[in-house]
Amino acid sequence: MASPITTFLLIPLVKIVVILTFILLTALYLSFFERKVQGYIQIRYGPNRVGPGGWLQAVADALKLFAKEDVTPTKAERFVFLLAPVLIVVPALVVFSVIPFGPTDTWRLTDINVGILFLLGVSSVGVYGIILGGWSSNNKYSLMGGLRSAAQLVSYEVPMGFAIVSVLLMANSLSLVRIVEAQKEAGVWYFVPGIVALYIYFVCGVAETNRNPFDLPEAEAELVAGFHTEYSGMSWAFFFLAEYANMIVVSSVATVLFFGGWLPPFPNLLAPLWASPVLAWIPPVFWFLLKVAGFLFLYLWMRATFPRYRFDQLMRIGWKVFIPVSLVNLMAIGLGVLLLGGAR
Amino acid sequence: MSVWSFLASLVPLDLLQGLAVTGKYLFTKKVTIQYPEEKKEPADRFRGMFGFSEERCIVCYSCAKACPIGIIHIASRLEEFEVDGKKKKRQVLQWYDIDVKRCMFCGLCEEACPTEPVAIWLTTKTYETVAYERNERLYFTKERLQNWDGVRPFPGVLTPREGQMPDDPKGEKGKK
Repeated sequence: MASPITTFLLIPLVKIVVILTFILLTALYLSFFERKVQGYIQIRYGPNRVGPGGWLQAVADALKLFAKEDVTPTKAERFVFLLAPVLIVVPALVVFSVIPFGPTDTWRLTDINVGILFLLGVSSVGVYGIILGGWSSNNKYSLMGGLRSAAQLVSYEVPMGFAIVSVLLMANSLSLVRIVEAQKEAGVWYFVPGIVALYIYFVCGVAETNRNPFDLPEAEAELVAGFHTEYSGMSWAFFFLAEYANMIVVSSVATVLFFGGWLPPFPNLLAPLWASPVLAWIPPVFWFLLKVAGFLFLYLWMRATFPRYRFDQLMRIGWKVFIPVSLVNLMAIGLGVLLLGGAR
Repeated sequence: MSVWSFLASLVPLDLLQGLAVTGKYLFTKKVTIQYPEEKKEPADRFRGMFGFSEERCIVCYSCAKACPIGIIHIASRLEEFEVDGKKKKRQVLQWYDIDVKRCMFCGLCEEACPTEPVAIWLTTKTYETVAYERNERLYFTKERLQNWDGVRPFPGVLTPREGQMPDDPKGEKGKK
């Protein structure tokens, strides 16, 4: 039998390294695809000179960031200034520990029974990175960006929470693995009954990750670059990395909660088809990554399409529209679960 | 907040419309010209690298006078030669230098040229005149103005020495 050291130290360490490498590479290439998608939408090609078809562009960008000087402003609060990028990037990466990439234990780091709670709690810590980074830079633009981001995150966490709770009601569990399995048992992915919840969740997710059209913390027309105005080199790269990692987190969670995680389309209806020798070789993680990629593409598509909201519009949508609607939606889904006997 | 604006914020149809537009453009043909591999053919009146014909030049100095920044430097000498036993004198070019690095391609020299067809012209469709050293390589003597040493002609374009004409950089009219 495997010794405890192998089970509790070696295998998780290998998994951590694999997941981290995968996430970092994805984040790196997400920036490349972002430029590509934006280019294609703007009727041009985007980066296509570095390497075949531009595929080494992301590597070149990473090398450039490694080589750049890391400038700390003289009047900055030095310790906090250097701590902030770590505070933002660590939660963004830690949440991947509970995300199930596939059906078996091989495909995930852990399955804790309060997975979604852990995920929300840890990812909320990321706001400290933004606030502290904005404050310690000793720059009015950074501070304004940090404050805006904090207000935005606090406002949108509420409807996002309600949207997630409606899924938890349907699945009757807080474990992300259990939620996916419940979708298989229910025979329908939760985006069908929870279409409103999905919409609210995704819009709030976009707001939480400070992406267009909610990228007010980085509104370059007003705030230069917002909370990371004073950052350069690797510490800037950490903010950048955290933003893309958070996008992947939001997309993964949307996949798990609403689109059946690693399940193939119509897992029960087409079960013979998926078990057939032709299609059985497709690993479940393929479906998971495909769905995540779909959400990520939606992110990039929105980035290339929407103008930025004004700050009061942002707050109005958060407090006056999404919170009441998500509350009503929560009640409706609760009623539905009660009447249809979904809750056990 | 009215019911209408509440609904409009909840279901942003205008934003979905925007997504539809950008989604359509994602698949349209791209307008980018991939420069070193593809080159856009300049218009017929595009002002590019100089073409110069020493044969047609009558050494009247009009172009040098017309040049607003005085970058055309001409020197000539009188040369004697005999026609039918008579001695005649004629101006012959000694130098005809253009400091192309300072040229703004206004084309006033071409307008001032009295010969027909003109002896100096800019409608050559050629714009790849880059050089690593500007004082030597972008200072064109009369020989370099004609053989275009250091200039990459636009594909299909002849150099002035090979017989390019002011209105016909590719030498197509002569063939017909």
